[in-house]
Amino acid sequence: MKNWKMLTAGAVALSLSASLFAGCSGGKDDGKTHIEFFSSKVENASTYKEIIKEFEKKNPKIAVDLSSPPDAGTVIKTRLTKNDMPDIVAMGDDTTFTDLANSGVLKDLSGSDAVENIQPTYIDMVKKDYKNHDAVYGVPYATNGNGVIYNKEKLAALGIEETPKTWDEFVADLDKAKEAGEIPIYFTLKDAWTGMVALNSVASSISPDQFAEDKTAGNTTFKESYDEVADKLLTLSKYGHKDNMGVAYGDGNTAFANGKGVFYLQGNWAIPELVKANPDVKLGVFPFPATNDPSKNNLVSGIDVLFGLTKDTKHEKEAKKFISFLLDKEQAQKYTDEQSAFSALKDVYQNDPKLEGYKASFESGQITSYPDHFYPTGMNAANILQEFFIKKDKDKFLKTMDKEWDKVIDRK
Amino acid sequence: MNKRKLAFYFMAMPAVLLFFVFHTYPALQGIFYSFTNWNGYGDWDFVGLKNYLNVFKDSRAIHAYLFTFKFAIVSTIIVNVFSLLIAIGLNSKIKGRNFFRGVYFLPNILSILIVGFIFNYIFAHIIPQLGEDLHLEALSKNILGDPDLAWIGIVIVAAWQAIAFNTILYLAGLQTISTDIYEASSIDGAGKWREFWSITFPLIAPFFTINMVLALKNFLMVFDQIVAMTGGGPGTSTESISYLIYKGGFQGGEFAYQSANAVVYFIVIVVVSLVQLRILQRREVEM
Repeated sequence: MKNWKMLTAGAVALSLSASLFAGCSGGKDDGKTHIEFFSSKVENASTYKEIIKEFEKKNPKIAVDLSSPPDAGTVIKTRLTKNDMPDIVAMGDDTTFTDLANSGVLKDLSGSDAVENIQPTYIDMVKKDYKNHDAVYGVPYATNGNGVIYNKEKLAALGIEETPKTWDEFVADLDKAKEAGEIPIYFTLKDAWTGMVALNSVASSISPDQFAEDKTAGNTTFKESYDEVADKLLTLSKYGHKDNMGVAYGDGNTAFANGKGVFYLQGNWAIPELVKANPDVKLGVFPFPATNDPSKNNLVSGIDVLFGLTKDTKHEKEAKKFISFLLDKEQAQKYTDEQSAFSALKDVYQNDPKLEGYKASFESGQITSYPDHFYPTGMNAANILQEFFIKKDKDKFLKTMDKEWDKVIDRK
Repeated sequence: MNKRKLAFYFMAMPAVLLFFVFHTYPALQGIFYSFTNWNGYGDWDFVGLKNYLNVFKDSRAIHAYLFTFKFAIVSTIIVNVFSLLIAIGLNSKIKGRNFFRGVYFLPNILSILIVGFIFNYIFAHIIPQLGEDLHLEALSKNILGDPDLAWIGIVIVAAWQAIAFNTILYLAGLQTISTDIYEASSIDGAGKWREFWSITFPLIAPFFTINMVLALKNFLMVFDQIVAMTGGGPGTSTESISYLIYKGGFQGGEFAYQSANAVVYFIVIVVVSLVQLRILQRREVEM
């Protein structure tokens, strides 16, 4: 009797611990080659699923397993420490990608067919982000535009016929809106990152291109290079509503879509959300006019999705086949349309009239990358900026930015 | 060894093993990495005590410590005052006593994140709307967007939830007191106030100790509320230590540096809890 009791206790204990480890292993045995497609964007999963279905129909021997977890950046980094990488990664050209590229887990795709059809601007942009500038660790696919979204009906009601091309015109329009009793800019600064949209817009056209390198080398400071940027941000902050710091991005989307505010400092990624909140809203976009010289006012654009092939993949041929399929013109067009995105491919265009205002910049190549992309990630720039919007103390803001940057560099 | 004992070992070992694998081992790993410059991936070197020295030089970390202690002390006091009051109320003979006990325990069942999101909505929409309708300027803004007031919003939410658990502990304490003592004191003519200070409070002293220590420890580790409500903002005004460690370590890619911060933080919490336990236990009475 005692033996039996002991046995059950042991069995229960064992099965309990076994169940904790279950789920780690999982080989599928259906005669197909499985490739894992890891995506860091949650919004586009439905589009990917349709493309995958199409691909699997044409390639019955290959199965593509899409995984698109929330907080993907952290997930992929933990999987990296465990040496458990997917075959293909699809992510933005962000610091997580930079980290992956620098740690040498991605294949160099330069010279392959995949790169052939991509606009060279975006290839250069990708290359700039990691140490080995000769390699192409990610194939740019979709890009975004960070500028100003505006309410077409409100602008017409204010009698503004053309979107502003210069800083002075923009401020004049803001004044006009304020006088008419409208909220000129709808800020959503409770979410610190939304402030960075404004910072990126202003800084990209004003601060020197080499700022990050110079700053790290000790040749410049925020105090020297960002004075005008800070001034212009302060000017913008005067045109908000009465609770700029209390409204978060999600609430702001609903409010702006329902007619609060004339201008909205956001990227094209907000457009599907705005349309969801109010399908009848009439929207337009234009690049942020940061200076009085229209030829200097670049559109801030970055790579929203790029594809990387992991070095240790056992299914290189199949994975490459799938990437080529995604880069197929038809599929790229489908992605561009469904996601309100811009394509990094040479002849795939965004035809949505809402995004018409960015077209000229894309066509003339008057685009530039996100300045904050080159800031050290540990410095917490978004929150420092948020504090600046509250305290409006320019001196302290620039000093803190300098100090935090140096601190992070020192700790490396 | 007799077989009965062996069975107990069989039951205890998996728990010890799991505890070691998922708790002790990672903690030791964290301590190890705090002496390196590891980013969480890739190569690393030993850097000695550099990370620790940097923690003490980091004004952001110091600010986080100040905020966390301010928050924890205020919340601990509020929670203990209110949960003791509620427990005394729930311990008396009132109608629907079990119903009220259930109601007051409810917040403890809900996930902190969900509670945080609900209050986020209340602070962002309901209270400002109310303030506008009543023409109260002070209420018509989202307090979570004000660097001087945001921490109060977090105190309210954290206390609202923590009171449930501490009330249960106080209630358990109150039920250990025999009614004979109260009868004796009322014959002696003691009033309610006197009864509380001379009988109730001294007799639940061990529960008071454990509640104070647990509450302070839990509030020093505040994390979920911050994630759900402010993300450390506005500015860095509500950045708690655990939130700073998480954000700097993972998003900021400074895994080793924040590991050092975590080790410092661990030592601080252990020391604070031990000192607190010592002082509070000294004033407990023996029956």
